[in-house]
Amino acid sequence: MNLLEVTRLNTYYGDSHILFDVALHVERKEVVALLGRNGAGKSTTLKSLMGVVTPREGSIVFDGVEIAGSKSHSIARAGMQLVHEDRRIFGSLNVEENLVLAGLTSENRWPLERIYAMFPQLKERRTSRGTDLSGGEQQMLAIARALIRDPKIILLDEPFEGLAPVIVRDLVKACRDLADAGQTMILVEQNLPAALTLANRAYIINNGHIAHEAPTSALKARPKVLERYLGV
Amino acid sequence: MIKQRALVVEALTAVGLVAAPFVLPGLGFTPTTINRILVWGMFGIGFDILFGFTGLLSFGQSAFFGTGGMVAAYLLTVASFPYVTAALALGAIATSIVGYVVGLIALRRTGIYFAMITVAIAEVFFFVEFNPLSDLTGGENGLPGVPPPAIFLGFTTIHFDSDALLYAFLAFWYFVGMVIALRIVRSPVGAVLRAIRDNPTRAAAVGHDVHGYKMTAFVVAAAYAGFAGGLLGLMQGFMPPDAFMFETSGQLVMQTAIGGAGTLVGPLVGAAVWLYLSDFLQTTLHLGAAWKLVLGVIFVLLVCFLRRGLIGGIEDLYRLLTRSRKKAEPGEDAPMAGAAMQNAQKAATAHLACPPAIAAMPARQRGTDRRTGPILQANRLTKRYGGITANCGIDFAVNHGELRGIIGPNGAGKTTFFKMLTCEVPPSSGRILFEGVDITGMRMTDVCQLGLTKSYQINQLFNRLTVRENLTIAALADLRGKFRLDLFKSLRSVPGLTGQVGHTLELVDLVQRADTPVSDLAYGEKRRLEVGLALATSPSLLLLDEPLAGMSPRERLETVRLLKSIARGRTMIIIDHDVDSLFELVERVTVLQEGRVLVEGTLDQIKGNSRVQEAYLGGVHRMLAAE
Amino acid sequence: MINWANFISQCFNGLVLGALLALISSGLTIIYGTLGVLNLAHGAMFMLGGYAGWLAYSYTSSFVAAVCAGALFGMIVGVLVERVIIRHFYNRPHEDQLLVTFGLGIIFVETVRFFFGSLSKTVSPPPPLAGITSLGFMLYPTYRLALLGIVAVALLALYLTLYRTRIGMIVRAGIEDAVMVDALGIDVYKVFMLVFGIGAMAAGFAGIVNAPVVSIAPDVGEAILVQTFVVVVIGGVGSFPGAILGGLIAGEIISITSMFNPGYAYVMLFVAMTLVLVLRPYGLLGTAGRE
Repeated sequence: MNLLEVTRLNTYYGDSHILFDVALHVERKEVVALLGRNGAGKSTTLKSLMGVVTPREGSIVFDGVEIAGSKSHSIARAGMQLVHEDRRIFGSLNVEENLVLAGLTSENRWPLERIYAMFPQLKERRTSRGTDLSGGEQQMLAIARALIRDPKIILLDEPFEGLAPVIVRDLVKACRDLADAGQTMILVEQNLPAALTLANRAYIINNGHIAHEAPTSALKARPKVLERYLGV
Repeated sequence: MIKQRALVVEALTAVGLVAAPFVLPGLGFTPTTINRILVWGMFGIGFDILFGFTGLLSFGQSAFFGTGGMVAAYLLTVASFPYVTAALALGAIATSIVGYVVGLIALRRTGIYFAMITVAIAEVFFFVEFNPLSDLTGGENGLPGVPPPAIFLGFTTIHFDSDALLYAFLAFWYFVGMVIALRIVRSPVGAVLRAIRDNPTRAAAVGHDVHGYKMTAFVVAAAYAGFAGGLLGLMQGFMPPDAFMFETSGQLVMQTAIGGAGTLVGPLVGAAVWLYLSDFLQTTLHLGAAWKLVLGVIFVLLVCFLRRGLIGGIEDLYRLLTRSRKKAEPGEDAPMAGAAMQNAQKAATAHLACPPAIAAMPARQRGTDRRTGPILQANRLTKRYGGITANCGIDFAVNHGELRGIIGPNGAGKTTFFKMLTCEVPPSSGRILFEGVDITGMRMTDVCQLGLTKSYQINQLFNRLTVRENLTIAALADLRGKFRLDLFKSLRSVPGLTGQVGHTLELVDLVQRADTPVSDLAYGEKRRLEVGLALATSPSLLLLDEPLAGMSPRERLETVRLLKSIARGRTMIIIDHDVDSLFELVERVTVLQEGRVLVEGTLDQIKGNSRVQEAYLGGVHRMLAAE
Repeated sequence: MINWANFISQCFNGLVLGALLALISSGLTIIYGTLGVLNLAHGAMFMLGGYAGWLAYSYTSSFVAAVCAGALFGMIVGVLVERVIIRHFYNRPHEDQLLVTFGLGIIFVETVRFFFGSLSKTVSPPPPLAGITSLGFMLYPTYRLALLGIVAVALLALYLTLYRTRIGMIVRAGIEDAVMVDALGIDVYKVFMLVFGIGAMAAGFAGIVNAPVVSIAPDVGEAILVQTFVVVVIGGVGSFPGAILGGLIAGEIISITSMFNPGYAYVMLFVAMTLVLVLRPYGLLGTAGRE
């Protein structure tokens, strides 16, 4: 059984129809990429899964349980975590407080040491306030905050955006390690090389519809598809 | 409700006022109560213009009520000024001036800050009246000895000293107040006030001086309060200090909410309910001091369940009853699924089949127009946010009549750049010239008046108004400039208004839906109205922000066709993520990447450009080549 | 010629009043910061705390019991109000929220008036704290000194709760980004309920603790509400440090002006508020975006 099964998902912002019958599935331990141009509906898809936006129609079955329409906090407790595209770490709290807060309602939360082992830079900055962190550190914290809850699936919304190439390289490596360790992920990313490196399979969204689905190997073999939907 | 069928409301008011002294006593109203209701009603007319029509909830009207009353009473008692009406007028004028000064402070903020500031104002006025100025105001005793009004008719003097005559005096002034208020509300200013209540940002963006209009409403409310305060003194024979109490402001707010805000007559109805119940609860039910508790509970229940007050509730009931007779039509608040949606979609399909062929409405000629040189030019435009540079040194020019698209991969800074062009955000450095005029750092209101208007990605409509009323607001800014105090003119008298609104309706194909409220429109229709609002300001340059956002494939086709038809004779700059649809529309494209211009050219030049492809695909080709 | 003893005495009064206003305003500001609702019933909650405490005092003759009763009652009222009424108003326009909290304030005041009458009731300070203390250069009412200490302790407790406990961490995060807190598995409505309770508790606590100084009456909340608003505008909406700074400033302005002419106290307060509005529109310690 798939970890995540989404069918006929329709999401609106007010009466603006953003997602049209979106359907996708994710197996355990898979890394699935969601590709598409700006405004195609990638972020909205992740937000619909996490309950940040309530879909108007459709079914989201997560580990056998229907979660469409549930509140975010129940979905979080069911084992899903979203790393927002603007990170949304708590600027007025310090690094450690951000992590502790995130882990509060999780039964299998990681001990802080395990997080710090994975992100030593966060350990160095553990008492710094969120607003004092650099972009890369904030992104690390956002990912760590999701991890500390030992989630069944992590949704990453443009984690590499706006970061220096060196930092992107480190983060990609960290995500690679997580994937190798068996973490299931959905990755929305416009940085195509990074996305194609990390993911096993990809969906392409265009104007709110799922336009294409293929293993990343197939996409790399025929880049014309990418040009068609992501280029100009 | 107030807009159509002029003079009906005035006539009804007059009839009501004449009938009241015969009908109401039978229902248990004492003459004193009836007179009090009129004074509160007058007080409330101005407050309703401020709150019901402009959306500014002030808890400080007691300050003006007391000020006007004290000035009038002082003139009539201490200063022995003989003319009652003139004293009332002077009181109102003095209060208007005070209102203007207070408004300069209070209107600096909106929403809850505004509410808090008005509470503070009420208290300050009370304390000043009570202590430092007690010589003038009588302190806690008030000003006694206010004479009843009198009119000199040469051969005789009428003293309005009986309850019945006093009623006539008060009723007359209430009627006058009502007639004036109706004129204000039906004037262009009244329309703009309603727009400010619904969407102040858009009202400013289509070219109205929102602060000026808010100040107008504030001063009008102060004037009414001041006049009513004078009437209170006359009615009671003395001017009490409790007119200044915060409680008075609170009572006014509650009465207006109970009666129904935005109806002008709501405060009167609310006052009638309040005063009647307070009499009834105290004398008949012997509840003593608990009457206010009961009224408080009623008030809270009404706020929770009957959001538009008693009058709103009666209107809804009426609509429910008339609708149950017409079976085919859905209720006004029914969700879009259902007959309304089907109607809207049928209409949409029909339009797709036969697109409208309308002559382009020429953009209004303005003094600043010139035919040579680019219509819009940006020089070295830069925007920094903290440590991040969103746009760096962008040079950009668009010629008259061009259709330009702006595209770029993620992180290109398109949104920031667009916001600088529309003057929503000032640049950190660089210049923007529109028709040769430097508009750098100007506000949207002023830029719109010059001829540059934007349409929004997320609909910014005036939600409680109809389609026609929406377009009227935009056209009014174009035809009247950013601020005009035409309080007493009717909308009909604005030259060219009907024509401009009518033509815009045709352009965006909403003629059949002109009198539909925004809440009943389908999404595609709302998007057309969104563009229509910008068009109605007669822009020479139209900036469209994601016009295709949130649309189905069918709606996209329809919108592209519509935009093509309105593009004739107009310059447009469009930003959108749907590159395929965008390329159907524009002739030239500017491609941004990482805050700078990557390349600019015709459609063919861009489509074939490998650097553009690389920018969008982020080095995928290199990666694949390396593998 | 200024009477220096009088002046210092007034400064002390200002400090006491300032601390009290800081405590009450903190309650108001964290409610607004987290829920986005301006609680116009806040003054009434202050009044309710005073009455609850007075009742407890009449039955137990224990000042400690009175203080606990006042605080606890405040918390219960806050929690109930949020749960039963406010929760349904989050999606309604701001004006409706203002109207409903205003109406609730009226209901509270009138209910108390119905049961206990309009006349003020004195609450005597507990015997160990009654009387006058000699501070060497001047004599000062003992209770007021004690009040300063009590309120300072309460503010400290509030500070520690906000900055050193897990609950406080959640509240601070909620002020910043309630949606994100929800996405981390914490039911944000429970947070709202708690915050309203804490805010109301602060007001109720202040109400009973201040009772020996000003007596309790149904109308005491009105003046407090106005002063609280001025404090919050000066300090910055949603800012706990702003409430403290604003409170102290307001307290001193009221007290020192009262020395010269009590009638002008409010005027000076208003002038101060206007200055802040003109020079620093978001308050001394507030941030933009909190309208």
